Amino acid sequence: MTTTTALAQPASPLKRITNVAKLHFANPWTTLGLPWIILGVIFVGSLTIWWLIYSALSPEQREGALEGTEFGGSSFFIFIYMMVVAIQAISITFPFALGYGVTRRDYYLGSTLAFVALAVIYTTGLTVLGAIEKATDGWGMGGTMFAPIYFGESAPERIFVTFVLFLFFLFFGSAIAAVWVRWKATGVTVFFIIVGALLVGLIALTTFTDSWGAVGATLVDLGVLGVAAWSLVLTAMSGVAGFVLLRRATPRNAA
Amino acid sequence: MTSTIEVTNLSKHFGKVNAVNDVSFTVAENKIYGLLGRNGAGKTTLMQLLTGQEFASSGTISLFGQPPVENAKVLQNTCFIKESQRYPEDFRPKDVFKTAPWFFANWDQEFADRLIADFRLPLDRRIKKLSRGQLSSIGVIVGLASRAPLTFFDEPYLGLDAVARQIFYDRLLEDYANHPRTVILSTHLIDEVSNLLEHVLVIDEGKLLINEDAETLRNRATNVVGMKTAVEAFIGNREVLHRDGIGGLSSVTVAGLSESERRDAHAAGLELSPVSLQQLIIQLTRTETKEFEASA
Repeated sequence: MTTTTALAQPASPLKRITNVAKLHFANPWTTLGLPWIILGVIFVGSLTIWWLIYSALSPEQREGALEGTEFGGSSFFIFIYMMVVAIQAISITFPFALGYGVTRRDYYLGSTLAFVALAVIYTTGLTVLGAIEKATDGWGMGGTMFAPIYFGESAPERIFVTFVLFLFFLFFGSAIAAVWVRWKATGVTVFFIIVGALLVGLIALTTFTDSWGAVGATLVDLGVLGVAAWSLVLTAMSGVAGFVLLRRATPRNAA
Repeated sequence: MTSTIEVTNLSKHFGKVNAVNDVSFTVAENKIYGLLGRNGAGKTTLMQLLTGQEFASSGTISLFGQPPVENAKVLQNTCFIKESQRYPEDFRPKDVFKTAPWFFANWDQEFADRLIADFRLPLDRRIKKLSRGQLSSIGVIVGLASRAPLTFFDEPYLGLDAVARQIFYDRLLEDYANHPRTVILSTHLIDEVSNLLEHVLVIDEGKLLINEDAETLRNRATNVVGMKTAVEAFIGNREVLHRDGIGGLSSVTVAGLSESERRDAHAAGLELSPVSLQQLIIQLTRTETKEFEASA
């Protein structure tokens, strides 16, 4: 039978967007597999060290010996890694998806959806592990990895802070990826020079106006929750910047 | 709807480089087009413009009656397979074939499976471990099985061996016969595809040089071979596209001949042979003959 290939019925906008989001999980190795494996390795490494310290001490010395791990940053890697995941995900799937006839708008919205999903998944994971950590009194040794002090003191606080932090790193990553897709290495270099200059500028401004005290006081006033909430502004800015940049980007061959 | 693509005065500049320079043409529905030209002629840029991946400097493009840029309604009917198509590094071919149907409404899984077997593509190997040819076959399979009403193949078979290329041509023709659609194929291997093409667009230095029916184009030139004196006498003031000679023998390519001219040539003891599409295009892109540009 000979039939002229009919034009496809337009897929609904939501369908198009969720399809792009699914694309980021089609092979979950980069987005879901590797990060948990690395986190697992770090955890096992930490457990081993704690156990070495713990078993070298007499029972009365053990009390509070690992208290300092409350300030440890071993799970911080996962946040930085999410930034890397976002950069990789966008720079690799953008030219791929456009070949499939996806618009930049649908692509970006779909990726945004995927990143929020990632933030939810990782927040859930860290929350569960943090809860186990608290319940087992630091894995039986008083160690801290998943619920360090700066994620907040109660479970709801920790959930909020981790979620917001994940969002920040994912969207900051997607902004960097958009710069990369649009202007490649030159663009990213210029981007970091500008970000660096802004930071140095802020530091200089604070120093010259002698306002470090005020800054410190403000941060203490805001508390962990306040600071986390304010990061949402940066997250939103990154998200919008990523969209604006990617909207005019062209998939190029050069890697 | 008769024309799938309408392009009017389309230009794309990169700084001072005119990648596409004031090009106008239309592409009829359900035909196989060849987009031919030398490296850097502007073929890829043109296809990127048509699929909304690149933004035009000036001019207009209409796909299925609408501008393609950021137009999901139009773009979801297109599939663009690039020579250098990059795939997510951790993907395996099976991930590509798992995701493709989400984006192509006409995707035919059975056809895809058959092509996978034809090309002997390993499904479980990571993309970065695949050979150049295997990578190309992924693109070819997606391009064919997607059955997008408008499919672009940009040099789809880098690294594919002759057998695999023949499979591609055969499957394309077969499937096209059952499911007519518009295909735009850009390639260097002009002779290999010349029987496939129904219409030829030749682009050189960003300008559209030839826009003709493949059949008409093939009849546009003839090789005249014979004794030098006889050949020279026959061609007279005729336009010569190409001239070759060894000793007393001469081979000259001339623009299309009428029936009576053919008889004259035979009477003069000259041999006439058709010019291959590839030869013709090489000669046409080399010659700066105004007539050919004008008629293009």
